[in-house]
Amino acid sequence: MTVVLAVCVAVTFGVSIYMMLGRELMGLAIGVFLIGHAANLSILAMSGSPVIQHDKAYQTAEFKIPPVLESDQQAKDWSEAQLIKAEHPEQDVVNPLDEMVDPLPQALILTAIVIGFAVMGFLLTLIVLTQRRAKTLDVNELAKMDLPTPSQAH
Amino acid sequence: MSGSINNFIILFCVIPLAAGLLSVPLVGRSFPSRVIGTLSFASTFLLAVYLLIQGYADNTIYVSYMGSWTAPFGISVVFDNLSGLLLATASAVALGSYIHSYSTNASHIERGYFHPLIQLLMFGVNLSFLTGDIFNLFVSFEIMLMASYALLTIGASKKQMSQAYKYVMLNLLASTIFVIAAGMAYGMLGTLNMADMALIVKTKLASGEGLPVGFTALAVMFLLVFALKGAFFPLWFWLPDTYYTCPISIAGLFGGMLTKVGVYAVVRTFPLIFTQSVADIASVDVNPTRTTILWIIAVAAAFTMFLGVLGAVSQHEVRRILSIHVISQVGYMVFGLAIMTGWALAGCIFYMIQHMVVKCSLFLCCGIMEKHAGSDDLDKLGGLLKRDTLLGVLFFVAAMSLVGLPPLSGFFGKMVIIQEGWNNGLWWLSIIGLATGALTLLSMLKIWSYGYWNPEPKKYPQAAKPENVKSSSRSGYIGIAMLVVLALFLGFGANPVYKFADRAGEQLVSPDAYIMAVLPKERIKLVNPELAAKLYDGIGHDRMSEPLDEEPMIISASYNKEVHP
Amino acid sequence: MTSLILKTAMRLIVPLTLLFAVYMALKGHNEPGGGFIGGLIASVSIALYRMTYGAESFDKLLPIHPRILVFVGLTMAFLVAVFPLLFDRPLLTSYEQYLNLGFGQTVHFVSAAIFDIGVLLVVIGVSVGMIDRLSREVEK
Repeated sequence: MTVVLAVCVAVTFGVSIYMMLGRELMGLAIGVFLIGHAANLSILAMSGSPVIQHDKAYQTAEFKIPPVLESDQQAKDWSEAQLIKAEHPEQDVVNPLDEMVDPLPQALILTAIVIGFAVMGFLLTLIVLTQRRAKTLDVNELAKMDLPTPSQAH
Repeated sequence: MSGSINNFIILFCVIPLAAGLLSVPLVGRSFPSRVIGTLSFASTFLLAVYLLIQGYADNTIYVSYMGSWTAPFGISVVFDNLSGLLLATASAVALGSYIHSYSTNASHIERGYFHPLIQLLMFGVNLSFLTGDIFNLFVSFEIMLMASYALLTIGASKKQMSQAYKYVMLNLLASTIFVIAAGMAYGMLGTLNMADMALIVKTKLASGEGLPVGFTALAVMFLLVFALKGAFFPLWFWLPDTYYTCPISIAGLFGGMLTKVGVYAVVRTFPLIFTQSVADIASVDVNPTRTTILWIIAVAAAFTMFLGVLGAVSQHEVRRILSIHVISQVGYMVFGLAIMTGWALAGCIFYMIQHMVVKCSLFLCCGIMEKHAGSDDLDKLGGLLKRDTLLGVLFFVAAMSLVGLPPLSGFFGKMVIIQEGWNNGLWWLSIIGLATGALTLLSMLKIWSYGYWNPEPKKYPQAAKPENVKSSSRSGYIGIAMLVVLALFLGFGANPVYKFADRAGEQLVSPDAYIMAVLPKERIKLVNPELAAKLYDGIGHDRMSEPLDEEPMIISASYNKEVHP
Repeated sequence: MTSLILKTAMRLIVPLTLLFAVYMALKGHNEPGGGFIGGLIASVSIALYRMTYGAESFDKLLPIHPRILVFVGLTMAFLVAVFPLLFDRPLLTSYEQYLNLGFGQTVHFVSAAIFDIGVLLVVIGVSVGMIDRLSREVEK
């Protein structure tokens, strides 16, 4: 799964940078949106099961406690289940917490998406305004062109 | 009592947001929106000064947990001396440039949601000074940037549009890197709360486990992001053009404040987390990340200071000189960071404060100069000392504060940083700093002699009558005078301000107080029992009276479902 | 777009999607969902409606300017967030209560739900307003 995600991240980054290097403002905008998605995907790739790293509470450094649990008892149960599992790998210990994923990276991604959405709105408005003033979206032509001032354009 | 103060530190964000919301239905009516805006900035300024003095006297750090979710899982908002100093200064700068904007803003700018946007900008800036959480820092940066994008393109003139693309694109890239770095930091340390990160880094260093693989790379990623916002050496190319195009009061606010937010982020996160000092850990000699990062920062400081001032000397337009100067002044702050002792950080913080005030007042002076001459080209300026003596005096005081003539504020910032650099083996940076100071004087004198001392240029007669300009920009003078008085206070009252700055520097260099204020006891005990024992043994009886729990709790929020059926 | 199939389908899809949006927004407190998701779903359906029936019928569907929705939503969220400060609690602290509906039924009421509805209004206002303005620009 990690490999698939890594490839996805790499491809998205590649495409977005290719788009951003073009001479078209629309392509630039698409590149910007894609690079945001690439960043979000990379967070997703980095996230895993919910653990607090660095836990010395139960003297078993290799087992870690999920950060958000309802009670102390639950955390202990989880820790013990992990111990049993490590000692007897052939036993099938069912632990619902194994199937959980860490919620925090998803919250981060959601926040990043919201912000990306707002920036997208701004950038598209900027492009529409540029198109209205300059009648072109090509960077080379825009650089050459002497744009009309706003009072004339309206 | 401190419990109630704790929750009210969020007022720094609530007040601008409320003022912004209130002024949305008032768009187009300038008088009520101006009253609301002025009240908002003035009240945040007074509140910051009050809390700063109160917190200094009680020696406390105020912390508030948003939504009652305790650190490290909820978002915490922290008000320590560093935040207090910067919040007070930012509010003062905003107030000065806001009052100045009464006289310079065209009506189409006011109709274009100027008042709500500037409140939103201050909301983002204040939140970034207050937050104790890396990801929330990203969010507040984005709020600030969204407002700044809109303020940069307000009025939508052709120059602004073409500059906006550069600014937006660069900041978008920086934000992307920030998101990835935040994800990486979470992956490495398992937390994004700054105090918790500091605690975990400290524990990893002390336990001999060492820092995680790629920690230096992570630090460099954060440095890259903050350096771009703060216009450090290789990443400053966006700055001069950006401040060149927008309305002058906005340029003043941006020139004074926005780069300092980037510097602030470095000052906050690096001594606390990435380049944490190992002075109080006996078992470890050196933090490898600290060595690398400090070297990078030192090189960046040298180039930022020197190339910045060379750029400024070569320019011939007031706005460009001032905006390129921002870069060279940021270099001094970076120099303070490169030393990273408590006293050097105090110097860096003091320099940030005085630079915000002084740079903003210089930009605002430039606004009135433009009104006189119709341009900011030095060839077209002249004879301003005769035409407008008050402006001349204000400009001279501000310019000399920037240069750092002895009784004025710039001197005390530079002196501490340069001296501390000399004492800590960075003598070559100190020499560059001194040379930069001389060149700064040169470029300021250039504006002074062309603009104020020279007679009026015959080729370009100045159309505006002096009386008209003076009468139409009364509020402009008030705004500038306020900032100049503040700059004079920072110069003549450097001693009390340095007391606050010194405390702030100490809090940064030895993060124990910060960690203890933000994190609950159980969390510290869970991660690092030895440190918890050490911290809570030496403390007065009010915190000792609660014994450490035998069984470390799982720290979840105070919200507890089991109470309910 | 003047496809008959799309127009007919829209009559069914739009109300259902709006209903789904409300459902998502309301269940957000304890399960995946919430104001942002609900708002996005609602704005997708409104944007689809606008694409199908054109700008004039869109104006009839949403007689107020979307920016008013944004303002109302922000104010609502802001007030709910600030309210706990009056009771010496941190910003955004949620008030919760089990409301008894009779017949042994209870509803878990939290003040964060009002915050979420504010978010819903902001998201609808921003995205619908943005899509509307941009497509008006293109149609011109």
